[in-house]
Amino acid sequence: MDNVRPPPQAQGDRSAPSLALWYIAGIAEDSSPPLRGFSCSLSHVLISSVHAGFRRLYRIKIIDVAVLMSRPPPDPLYILRGSGAAVNTLHFCCGGDGPPFLYSGSGKGAIHVWNLTTRRAEHVLESHAGNSVIWLHTFKDSSSSLISQGRDMRVCVWDLSEDRSTVTDSLLTGSVGFCQCSLLESRPGSALLAHPTEHMEEVSVVEMRSWTPVCTLKPDSKLGMLMCMKMWQADSGPVLCAGYEDGSLVLWDVSHRRPFSCLKVHPEPVMCLDIDVCRQKGISGSSEKILQSWTFDNQQNLQMRDSVRMTNPGVSQLRIRADGKILATAGWDNNIRVFGLKKLKPLAVLQHHTDMVNSVAFSDHQDPPQRLLAAGSKDQRISVWSIYSES
Amino acid sequence: MGSEVRLQVGSCLRTLSSSRDSGEIVHALRTLKHYQEDGDLTRPHYTHALQVLVSAQSSHWFNRSRDDEEIKKLWDEIFLRGPPDQTLLLLLDTISSTGESAGLERCVSVLEKFLSAGHLQVLLWSRCEGGGSHSDTPQLRETIIGHLAALPSITSNHLHTNTPDAFLPQQYYPLLAASILDTLEKTCHALREGRDCSLGFVAQVLGKVCIQGYSSQIFELLAPRLSSLTRVDPLWQRVTQRLLENVPERCTECVITGLMRCLSGATAASKLMGNLVVTNKKAQFVLTHKLILQQYQHPTRLLKSVLGYLALDSERRILLKQVLRSVCQVWCNSSAVKHTSVEQQLYVSKALLLCVALLTDSEIQELRQEMLQCMLGGVQCRLDSNIVRIRRMGMVVGECLSYKLDTPGSQLKFQYEPDEESRELKSLMESPSVEDDEQHQPDTSSSLQPETKVQGSGGQSVTSEPGHGSDSELDSDDDLTPYDMSADQEKKKSASPRYVRDCLEALMSSDDADKVELSLQVLDSLLRKNATATQEVSVQFSKVLLHLEDRYNTPCFHTLRQNAMVALTVTDIKPVVDYWTTEFYSLNYSLRQRLDILEVLALSAQELSEPIRNKHNGVQPITAVTALEQCDDITHWRQIVEKRIQSKTRRISKGGTQPVKAVPNRYAPVAGFFFFPLLRNYDRPQVTFDLLGSDHLVLGRLLHTLGLLMHLAINAPVASQMGRALLDFVWTVRFHTDQMVRRGVMFAVCSVFLSMPGENLLTELGDDLMETRAWLADVAENDCDADCRSLAVQSLMLLDKNLKSQLQIPDMET
Repeated sequence: MDNVRPPPQAQGDRSAPSLALWYIAGIAEDSSPPLRGFSCSLSHVLISSVHAGFRRLYRIKIIDVAVLMSRPPPDPLYILRGSGAAVNTLHFCCGGDGPPFLYSGSGKGAIHVWNLTTRRAEHVLESHAGNSVIWLHTFKDSSSSLISQGRDMRVCVWDLSEDRSTVTDSLLTGSVGFCQCSLLESRPGSALLAHPTEHMEEVSVVEMRSWTPVCTLKPDSKLGMLMCMKMWQADSGPVLCAGYEDGSLVLWDVSHRRPFSCLKVHPEPVMCLDIDVCRQKGISGSSEKILQSWTFDNQQNLQMRDSVRMTNPGVSQLRIRADGKILATAGWDNNIRVFGLKKLKPLAVLQHHTDMVNSVAFSDHQDPPQRLLAAGSKDQRISVWSIYSES
Repeated sequence: MGSEVRLQVGSCLRTLSSSRDSGEIVHALRTLKHYQEDGDLTRPHYTHALQVLVSAQSSHWFNRSRDDEEIKKLWDEIFLRGPPDQTLLLLLDTISSTGESAGLERCVSVLEKFLSAGHLQVLLWSRCEGGGSHSDTPQLRETIIGHLAALPSITSNHLHTNTPDAFLPQQYYPLLAASILDTLEKTCHALREGRDCSLGFVAQVLGKVCIQGYSSQIFELLAPRLSSLTRVDPLWQRVTQRLLENVPERCTECVITGLMRCLSGATAASKLMGNLVVTNKKAQFVLTHKLILQQYQHPTRLLKSVLGYLALDSERRILLKQVLRSVCQVWCNSSAVKHTSVEQQLYVSKALLLCVALLTDSEIQELRQEMLQCMLGGVQCRLDSNIVRIRRMGMVVGECLSYKLDTPGSQLKFQYEPDEESRELKSLMESPSVEDDEQHQPDTSSSLQPETKVQGSGGQSVTSEPGHGSDSELDSDDDLTPYDMSADQEKKKSASPRYVRDCLEALMSSDDADKVELSLQVLDSLLRKNATATQEVSVQFSKVLLHLEDRYNTPCFHTLRQNAMVALTVTDIKPVVDYWTTEFYSLNYSLRQRLDILEVLALSAQELSEPIRNKHNGVQPITAVTALEQCDDITHWRQIVEKRIQSKTRRISKGGTQPVKAVPNRYAPVAGFFFFPLLRNYDRPQVTFDLLGSDHLVLGRLLHTLGLLMHLAINAPVASQMGRALLDFVWTVRFHTDQMVRRGVMFAVCSVFLSMPGENLLTELGDDLMETRAWLADVAENDCDADCRSLAVQSLMLLDKNLKSQLQIPDMET
């Protein structure tokens, strides 16, 4: 790019550098989409020239520069192909000593373990008797064990250490729905699992090691099917947030088996939700165009906050990044959308997939610049993006 | 006066006229002045003395410097101390009769002193005093009035550019106004002391000034002062009312118009004029008829004060009702709608609304029948008009009247885009109070108050905003710059069709809203890309598009449909144009469809008339292919390289424009297909379509379209035939009553004059040339529509240019 700058001896002659600048501006102005990336880098040249005092000399309108500054959305870092079926769920596991892994669950019961350094699938686990895998999770303390939930009404625990791939434990939940489980590791060695049951509106919480049922939570009023949930540890004990078919959210006090509060946030079923526990703020998506944020106080009372309108309806999943700055949604319109968490300001629309996006996940890498965003779609591909990871 | 004095004066004057000795002159002047002070120098002598002074001075004085100052001083004093009327007359006569000389300069400077020393007041007051007992002959009085009123004209006629500023109208008339005011004040004093006064002379002066067209200069000063003086003082009210009553009848109109223009508000008018409108017939005519129905150049403020003035007194309210009746009649007169300019109609509408706003409920009930008639008739004939502005005016006024007349449930309600004008009309209904500008001071203070409030609230919002701002700054997402999200579009449910026939099917069945929308969106490019496929179905497609209705409220439906129709026309010109032109005159189409046809024809012709620039455009694939086949390999290769270099080179310098080269376009060969069929059937009315009758909207558009088709055919061989046919057609409809049609006619004529070759034009017009010129000149002068007038002027100029260029050739040959 540097060769576009005027040579030093041309400084005295005003025409040469200004012509070069207008040349650049001319190209950038009528750039068609394939030229956009080029125009962006050109705009950097322009801006740096402006900083070098060109603006004072040649009176370039700063507006022109501002118009050029709207960056085009990034392309995916890489694509993971070969899952052989729709990708339903994703889970990053970057802790431990080994390379970072991404687990993906497919619609045909295959769980792929992707090595993100080689960008290849290291293992493919055939699971759940060919039924669709809808949820995957790992434990913090032991990265070699994996927990998966399938449409065969089972939750399985896998041992993957030393190239093993065996199911060590399994639980029959009886749930035929699509609601994903939620895992809470309160202290090392003990974890609580919330899972849907054969009763559509009911949540059951079990202790992971012994499968001892802790409690079952069932709303008194008719809220319809359980759609999604998330459990976390509050000061008072474990709290579970569940979204229901009629658009309501209920915050459950797990230890006392009673609801803290209930709030109807959507007119349609709550398709997905995620919570930033530190900021006591959550976002939920539905089958309509609105993305709704809400907060809860220390008494766990829910309160509606901002909402944002998307161009197309339907969100399959949404995730808040661990640093609480952005969130990503998996849209039914094949797009991944990125929003700022504080005001739900739309930041980017990532277009790559040719079919519905089913799942999004942010990596939990220790090094923030290496934190990635992955999205799995019905078009059998997983796209991996690096977005807003510079700072 | 004793004979001794007469002798003395006589000898003095003789000395003055003959002597060259300054000492003698000074002595004689002193003697004269002495007599003048004693009052022995009577009027006839005075005039004589002044004449002698003027003539003597011009001949031989002021050549020696010794006694000059003394002589000048005495001379001036004699002039300024005498009766002001005589001085004024003599000075003005001298100025207008003598040529440039030292004497003239003296006279001018004395006249300046005369004005600045306030002698005008003295003059005016002298005619007021004593109840008009001043014994002037009518001729003298008339002369004085004339000279007073026309001083600026008289002086500047003779002094030209040397006229002193004090004599210019901008300075003189305010001075005169101040003098009048002063005289009126003295009159008030005299009346308080029980002395009689006559305002006849002042009134005549006022009238004379106004009739000469200086009413605004006079009343700019007079009106505000008088309205503040009359606000509380009944004596002043009586004096001004007397003054206005005494204005001669033929000047009444100018005086009242000037006064009303400068007055602010109805109350002031009422205080100033009293019941003049009831007592004075002429004033009544001016105020209730002329200012409202005949003139329309006045600001709304004037209308407000006139009507408010009528509404303020019970005696005058009868007149207000009368005004309303006549305004109603004019407003609902359909011939007035057609033959008066839009501006006048707006003015009358304003008057109507103001009248209605001033009426009380009981009066409205009394006049209900008339108003109802007016509303129904007026709204109807305005809705018939082709001019949007008139239609909208009808709707707004109709709504406002109905608001007053009808019960809330049954009021008229129209759909229109409100603009500045309609808002103004509506606001007239909202401020009916006569007391709106009762007193100027409270008015301004009250108008100031909201402003301060606004400021206060603004300040609050400013103070509150930073709080908000800081709040939002604390947790905004601003540190993250958004990416370009323009690609984020609504997702379509079904894929857009890829074949022309698919589109056709989708539009024919048209039961799926999405499909129709998608088809319409891609249609334009699809039709142009697949020329062959389009040509197979073009006429069928035209039919479908012409009958297509916006059943699903598709966004931009009309543009999309029109673009598609244009694309069809330019892709398969002849059959489609044939189809359009036949369908234009056939049965059972709505006006909208016929207008659509015209629009499509015009747009297609415009597109076709673009010069053919790039042969590799894809529009004419066949010619492009033959071009490649013709050239042999080497040149072909060279051409390609050259073209690539050309396309990659970016020329930054602007350089001189290349000389205009004649380029073929695609319209010229087919212009006749567009043009002539449209002229075929215009005089054959159908059951559903009567072009020369009630469907004048289409006629106007047809004329416009024909004019456009004609204009686009400039330089085409067929242009002269087209021009001949168009002129023939236009000739039959040139006196149409509808403005839109007349505009179309003028546009068509303009385009004929522009596009037709000059020599053909003259032979074509031939005998009709003079008649055409006369007609155009008449339209340019008398048409009530401004567009028609300007177009007529335009075509006259074009015609003259043609004539000149044609007639010059024989001149040069001889």
